[in-house]
Amino acid sequence: MRDHDESLEEDESEINLTPMLDVVFIMLIFFIVTAVFVKEPGVEVDRPEALTAFQAGAGSIYVAVTPQDEIWIDRSVVEANEIRYSIERLRQESPAAGVVIKADSDARNELVIQVMDAAKAAGVDNIVIAASDI
Amino acid sequence: MRKHIATVRQEEDEAEINLTPMLDVVFIMLIFFIVTASFIRETGLDAQRPDQNDTPTVTDEEGAILVMINGNDEVFVANQSVDMRQVRPRIQAMHAEDAERPMVIQAHPDSTTKMLVSILDSANQAGIDNVSVVEL
Repeated sequence: MRDHDESLEEDESEINLTPMLDVVFIMLIFFIVTAVFVKEPGVEVDRPEALTAFQAGAGSIYVAVTPQDEIWIDRSVVEANEIRYSIERLRQESPAAGVVIKADSDARNELVIQVMDAAKAAGVDNIVIAASDI
Repeated sequence: MRKHIATVRQEEDEAEINLTPMLDVVFIMLIFFIVTASFIRETGLDAQRPDQNDTPTVTDEEGAILVMINGNDEVFVANQSVDMRQVRPRIQAMHAEDAERPMVIQAHPDSTTKMLVSILDSANQAGIDNVSVVEL
């Protein structure tokens, strides 16, 4: 009799999954909400160094400027007159995003300033020039 | 009969929804979002542009600290050629005279970002907040 009782208890002593499921769902929702799909420019640049570099906010739009006078946004080369359109298009997905200009150390300032102008024209206030912290 | 009722009740009790497949899916979604979550944050310097309608005709008389980079990456502070290492003390001294003075960096189209960033860095070190970049 005693044996029978014990086996029954063992059968019914399944782990209650509900609290874990609650936690997992909350984590899932948190990660979905905070998920930022970074728009990498798609080209590697040698960033200039700076002592006072600070961390730019997450969810930025990255614009790369190469020493070969190319501008990369979202893994493709963009013509100078299309920069503004590209930034506006990316900002529709995340309206609060700032712009980070990843300019190569040897990139020409003409293009950097063009990108800054385009970003400003697209309504971005938060423009950052990428620099590595030393 | 009694036995039958007992089994029915027991079946009802056990007819819970099996959560395991949903849990599998939820876990896979969770792992996906954790993996794709980007905690990458780029470091950089703040860059401002003056408003386009008031294109700066800033001169020294108007009180701005004027830093110019020419096409050969040479730096001029207030129209005097200055070594890159001397930029920070120079603008710091000018900033100390009048803390309200804005700073304007005039960059030649052919100058490099390296110079622009080091001047922005010097301005930050000197504690100047109001820095704008214009094309020469």
